[in-house]
Amino acid sequence: MTDQRPSLLRAEVHRFRSRRFIRILVLLALGGFVVGLVIAGTQFAKPSAAGLADAQRIMAEAGQQQEQFRQECLKQPQPPGQTAEQTCGPPFEASGLGVEDFMRTKPFVFADTAPGAAGGVAAGTAALLFLIGATWVGAEWSSKSMTALLFWEPRRLKVIATKLAVLLGAAALIGAAAQALWLLGAKALAATRGSTGRLPDGFYGDLLAIQARGVLLVVVAGALGFALANLVRNTGAALGLGFVYFAVVENAVRVLRPKWEPGLLTNNAAALVSKDGLRLYLNETHVDGQGQLVSVREIVLSHLHGGVVLVLTAAVLVAVGGVLFARRDLQ
Amino acid sequence: MAVIEVNDATKTYRRRRRPPQKALDGLDLHVAEGGVHGFLGPNGSGKTTTIRALLGLVRADSGELRLLGRPVPRDLPQVVGGVGALVETPLFFPTFSGRLNLQLLAETAGVSRVRVEECLELVDLQDRAEDRFKGYSLGMKQRLGIAAALLKSPRLLVLDEPSNGLDPAGIRDVRELIRRLGADGSTTVFLSSHLLAEVEQVCDRVSILARGKCVATGPVHEVLAGRATGEVRLRAPDLAGARAVLEGAGYAVTPVDGALRVQGVTAPAELTRLLADQGHYLEELSPVAADLESAFLELTEDTP
Repeated sequence: MTDQRPSLLRAEVHRFRSRRFIRILVLLALGGFVVGLVIAGTQFAKPSAAGLADAQRIMAEAGQQQEQFRQECLKQPQPPGQTAEQTCGPPFEASGLGVEDFMRTKPFVFADTAPGAAGGVAAGTAALLFLIGATWVGAEWSSKSMTALLFWEPRRLKVIATKLAVLLGAAALIGAAAQALWLLGAKALAATRGSTGRLPDGFYGDLLAIQARGVLLVVVAGALGFALANLVRNTGAALGLGFVYFAVVENAVRVLRPKWEPGLLTNNAAALVSKDGLRLYLNETHVDGQGQLVSVREIVLSHLHGGVVLVLTAAVLVAVGGVLFARRDLQ
Repeated sequence: MAVIEVNDATKTYRRRRRPPQKALDGLDLHVAEGGVHGFLGPNGSGKTTTIRALLGLVRADSGELRLLGRPVPRDLPQVVGGVGALVETPLFFPTFSGRLNLQLLAETAGVSRVRVEECLELVDLQDRAEDRFKGYSLGMKQRLGIAAALLKSPRLLVLDEPSNGLDPAGIRDVRELIRRLGADGSTTVFLSSHLLAEVEQVCDRVSILARGKCVATGPVHEVLAGRATGEVRLRAPDLAGARAVLEGAGYAVTPVDGALRVQGVTAPAELTRLLADQGHYLEELSPVAADLESAFLELTEDTP
C-alpha cells in the first residue's frame, strides 16, 4: 500500500497550505497592504508646472525671510563659547529643504521613502508571522492532532523541527514577497504620484540590505510565535503572553528601568531594520555634591546587536519548548 | 511471537498539590500474535496508561515494554509502521475534511491515496469524506479514527474503546470488522473496552487489569473456567422428589423456572448417580457458566 516515500516534511507543507485560518490571515494582510498603498497614493501627487512654480516662489520667499533673520541674528552678540553658525543656523541653501517641502501635496520621492517604509513593511509582516507561528502549532495542540501525529512519527524532536522548518520557510517566503510587493508598490507610487528622485550612490545595495534584514525579522517573529505557543500549547495564551510583553513589560521597562532598553525586542527589531541601527538616548541621573544632575547617554544598537538579540531569544524559546515536548508525558 | 510484551512496568503520575497516582504497579502483559486480545479493567486501572506507554506518549518509570519484538520507546520509530492505533477519542484537525486528515497521515507514512479511499470505504465514510471533521457526529469521528488506524495495514491494531459513540448498527459493523481483522491471520487486534459483552463476543483472549496489575489473562473460556461457579441446572419428572434427595445429601437447591439450581457441585456425575439410585432419572443436567462480567467483577474487586 506504499506508493510514495514517507515524507513528514511534504505532509507538513501540505498541512500548512491547507490551513484555512493561515490563508485568511495572509489574504487579509495582502488586502490591507493594497488598501494602504491606495491610501498612500491619495497623500501624494505629481507636481504640475503651476504647482512647481508656486512652490519655488514660496521657497524663495521663505529663503529670503530666513536669510534676513539670520543676518539680524549675526549682528547680535553671540553667547560665550558658541559660534555664530551654532547660534543662527546655516545659510538657507544648506538647510536641507527641497522644493517638494513647499508643495501643498507632496510628491512621492522613492529615494526618501522606500528604505524607511521597507522597515515598516517588515514590522507589519513580522506581526503577521508571529500570529501565524502561534496558530500553526497552537491549533495542533488544541485539537490534539499533534499527539495523533506521534502515532505515525514518534520522534518528537523530528516532528517539532519539521513543523518549525515549514514555518520558517513560509515566513521567509512571505517576508520576501512582502518586500517585493513594497518595492513594486513604491515604484508604482513614484511613477504615478512622484518621482524616483536622485538616487544616492549605493542606494539599491542599502535598500536590499534593509529588506533582507526585514525578512530575517519576519522569520524570527514567526519563530517567537511558534515557540510561545509550543510552550503553553495554546494559540490564545501565546498571543496573550505576546501582548503582555509588548504592551506592558516593554513600557514598564522604558519607564522604570531605562538601562534595560537595549535588551527590548522592539528596540532590537527597529535596530535590525533601520538603515544605520537605532540610537537610544537614555537619561542618566548622577548625584554630585551640588545635587542631582541628569545627563543623556547615547547608545547605538547596531544591526548585528539587534539580529543577535532577536535570534538568540527565539532560539532559546524554541529549544526550551522542544526539550519539554520531547520529555513530557502526553495525554 | 508476542506482539506486545510488558514486564514489571511501573508508572506513577506526579501531580501538583495532589498525592502521586500509581497507574502501573508492576504490570506484566503478554499478547500473542494473531486473533483478538481483549484488555479489560475498571476506570483508572491503567489500561490507557499501558497503551500510551506502548505508543511512546508516556514514559514508564521502570520495566520493559516491547512492541512487535522491539523495545519501546527506543525502537518505536522502527516498528510504528506496523502499528495502527485509535486511543480514546479520535484526534484530527477540526477544520480539515475527513479525507484530508487521512491524506496528511498517509503522506507521513508513505501510504497511497488509494489506500485512503479503501479505508474510507471500509468504514462507510466515502460519501462524507469531504465534510469537515468538526461537523461529524461522534460515531463518524470514531469511524474515521478506525480508518486512520487501518491506513498502514498494521500487523498490530490497538483500539481503545472503538465502539464509543456508535449506534447499534455501527457497533455491529465495528465488531464484525474486528472479528474479520483478527481472523485474517495478518493482524493482531488489541482491544481495550469497558463493554464486557463486546470482549466476550469478539475476543479470543483477554487480560484483566486492576490497580495497575494484570490479574488474569488467557483465552476467554479459560478465564471463565477459572471462575467456575460450581452450579448446575437440572430437570427431572419429579422435581420435588429430586430436590428432597439432593437436600438430604447436603446440597443447596433452589427451584428456578421449572428446573432446579444446585450449588456447590464439584462432580456433576455424583448427582446423576445419587438421583438414579433413588429412581429419579434426569431430563437435563447443565453447568451454569460464569459470564465475563461476573469474572471481571470478582477479579477486580479482589485485588488489594
